[in-house]
Amino acid sequence: MGEAEKLPGRRSFLRGMAGGVAGGVVAGGAAGFALRASQPDPAMAADTVSLEGRLPAVPFHGRYQAGITPPAQRQTAVISFDATADGKSELADLFQTITSRARFLTAGGTPPPVGIDGPPSDSGLLGATVIPDGLTVTLGVGSTLFDDRYGLASQLPERLTPMQSFPNDNLDPAQTGGDLILQLSAGNADTVLHALRDIARHTRGAMQINWRIDGFGSPARPAGTVPRNLLGFMDGIANPPLSKARELLWVQPGTAGEPAWTAGGSYFVVRLIRMFVEFWDRVDVFEQQQMIGRNRTTGCPLDASSLFATPDFGADPTGAVIPLNAHIRLANPRTPQTASSRILRRGYNYDRGIDQVGDLDQGLIFTCFQQDIKRQFEAVQTRLIGEPLVDYISPFGGGYFLALPGVRDTADWYGRALLA
Amino acid sequence: MRNRCYAGSPDLCFSVVMRKTRLLVIAVLAATASLSACGGGAPDAISFNSASCGGTWTLAKPGWHTFELRNANDVGGEIDLIDPKTSGVYAEVDQFGPGTTQTMSLDVGSGRYAFRCFFEDVDPMTGPTVTVPGRVKGFPATVPVTFNDLVEPAKSYQAYVSAGLKTLVGQTETLAGDVQRGNLTAARRDWLPAHLTYETLGAAYDAFGNFDDEIDGRADALGVTNPKWTGFYRLEYGLWHGQSAGELAPYAGKLATDVRSLLATWPTTEIPLIDIGLRTHEILENALEFQLTGHDDYGSGTTLATTLANVQGTRELLSVLQPLLVTRYPGLPGVYTWLNRLQALLEAEHQPDGTWVPAAQLPLSARQQIDAACGQALQELAPIASIAEPRNT
Repeated sequence: MGEAEKLPGRRSFLRGMAGGVAGGVVAGGAAGFALRASQPDPAMAADTVSLEGRLPAVPFHGRYQAGITPPAQRQTAVISFDATADGKSELADLFQTITSRARFLTAGGTPPPVGIDGPPSDSGLLGATVIPDGLTVTLGVGSTLFDDRYGLASQLPERLTPMQSFPNDNLDPAQTGGDLILQLSAGNADTVLHALRDIARHTRGAMQINWRIDGFGSPARPAGTVPRNLLGFMDGIANPPLSKARELLWVQPGTAGEPAWTAGGSYFVVRLIRMFVEFWDRVDVFEQQQMIGRNRTTGCPLDASSLFATPDFGADPTGAVIPLNAHIRLANPRTPQTASSRILRRGYNYDRGIDQVGDLDQGLIFTCFQQDIKRQFEAVQTRLIGEPLVDYISPFGGGYFLALPGVRDTADWYGRALLA
Repeated sequence: MRNRCYAGSPDLCFSVVMRKTRLLVIAVLAATASLSACGGGAPDAISFNSASCGGTWTLAKPGWHTFELRNANDVGGEIDLIDPKTSGVYAEVDQFGPGTTQTMSLDVGSGRYAFRCFFEDVDPMTGPTVTVPGRVKGFPATVPVTFNDLVEPAKSYQAYVSAGLKTLVGQTETLAGDVQRGNLTAARRDWLPAHLTYETLGAAYDAFGNFDDEIDGRADALGVTNPKWTGFYRLEYGLWHGQSAGELAPYAGKLATDVRSLLATWPTTEIPLIDIGLRTHEILENALEFQLTGHDDYGSGTTLATTLANVQGTRELLSVLQPLLVTRYPGLPGVYTWLNRLQALLEAEHQPDGTWVPAAQLPLSARQQIDAACGQALQELAPIASIAEPRNT
């Protein structure tokens, strides 16, 4: 979108009108699971141990994948793969290999010696002993895995489609979609990279990297608040509580139309969103806050004096305080009718060099988990069409996936119910 | 590949030197190691010197064990933990600097263990045998490949290269004749088989010395307009970029001359024995870096054909090493599985009209399949460099 087109959107916003085109769910704590509704962020306390690589192991086995509900670690990599396995049996081998590597990497331990029989079995990035460092491995499948290659067409999850392109999107096919999605998150970047190199070396013949992006989460500044995104606003303030996970997060057994194997999975949306930070930094703070609906310094909704307060949109029907098209108001109107569209956001910042005009290429790896993409992410995103923020962001990639059900125990493996 | 030294990548040359002249660099490594406090060591470390290879030590029971080894000698060397009955090696500490301590970890099983020491200027020594009781399976010992073991494979490979060079002489003379007669259509046709012949000889490039740069050098460091850039890629660049026969004739003539000279020197050239094992994965490492990426496509769009020639060259090495590998490398069938898959995928890109799909024009799924097969083949090949490394016994 050119500057000339952007400005009318911004001006129409200044006049308090709906204008512009669609954007991404970006900032300011709209819908999402606060795992700890009104408490200080425990990730804060974790910062010190994280930097020292001392985050404890996150148990790998369970009904659900372990990387979905805990507070976001400081570092992440999101990697899309295409399967190159030759047939369903090799695909099952691939899923078993990823399982066994993930089981080892998340628990930590000493890689086996090889004597004089080959190169070392481990890259050595973490020293002689692999530390867990809070590593989580989240694996999902995209709709293309269910084409004619592996005979899985009848097992396609009911709500899994290719990612829809919204009006403001500028999707690059080379950075969109994929048969598989892998998110590796840990306390430190070396732990994440170690895990990626380990999994890749064990699976070279069966899958190839399609696209990848690395991300980081900032410490909460000031301490006790919520980490900020690269627009300078606290992000992820209002995630719904885990007590709502049954209604909002996990695919339930017996859900109409869903193949039985999907129970315990969660739909996983990834949106790679460029932020035009130079442009954003040339906008005055009043206008920035009006677009988001929160105070940039404190994170408080513009109608409240506490960070975790629920904005009272009913008391502000004309948008005199929080404009009707502010991001937090469109994303989560806080009405009974929109409660079922809430999503669990788990975003990370990305920062990777410069663009063609020398501006910084940075933004948001927006990730969210939910039970139903259409009812949740797409409903939220549809409400955001026309928000003023779209002038400052550009979604360029990502995809829709189903995060697989958890690996229950040492005999279980990712996707066993799908592939066994 | 570690045998090619270009101005842009001196570190690649360095690693060749490291692997070929390991004993000479021990002092350097020891100096480096001391930076990370490796000179001390636990008080219960097993000590080695010019008179004693480990002395008295015990190992009460099987299981994971980390040995602390201290080189109390004033020279560097190598310590192996062996099965004294078979001379099989469980673990080794190579390039063990004087006065330093190193660890050796392994899953110890029931059986017999002894240290064997190879210090510079001292005859090899074997320490006392320690028996671990019971019937527990541990990490297996591998019988090392010796220098003698590699003599026959090296001879076979030498003969293979010799035959290839003889073929290449005729092919490059044909190519030079085409260019000198001004028939560039014929030259474009005859360039490929000649280049592919050269590309099947990948384990010998280091032994070829400067000839390799003259015959198959890239433009990378020189630039495509530099007259010092010669060989197959220089001709390819000219033949597929509209350069005249007059401009290319000197390069075609030089190529044929260089190949003839190389053939003449070949009978007295030695391939280092360590190269035979090393190149089993390095040839395809190079193909992945320069051919499958399209980097070495100077216009003909035939880097997939080159990769296929590199697969053939790899197969030849495996063939001469086969007797040594079958008893030592359980993963050998996997090597062939993936080389076969890679070869079939490459052959599928050979068009009915004889042309090749340029790597840059591969559809995404075909590219991913080829990259996956090459990557997996490399994973399977990688252990052979260690297994087929000639060792002292």
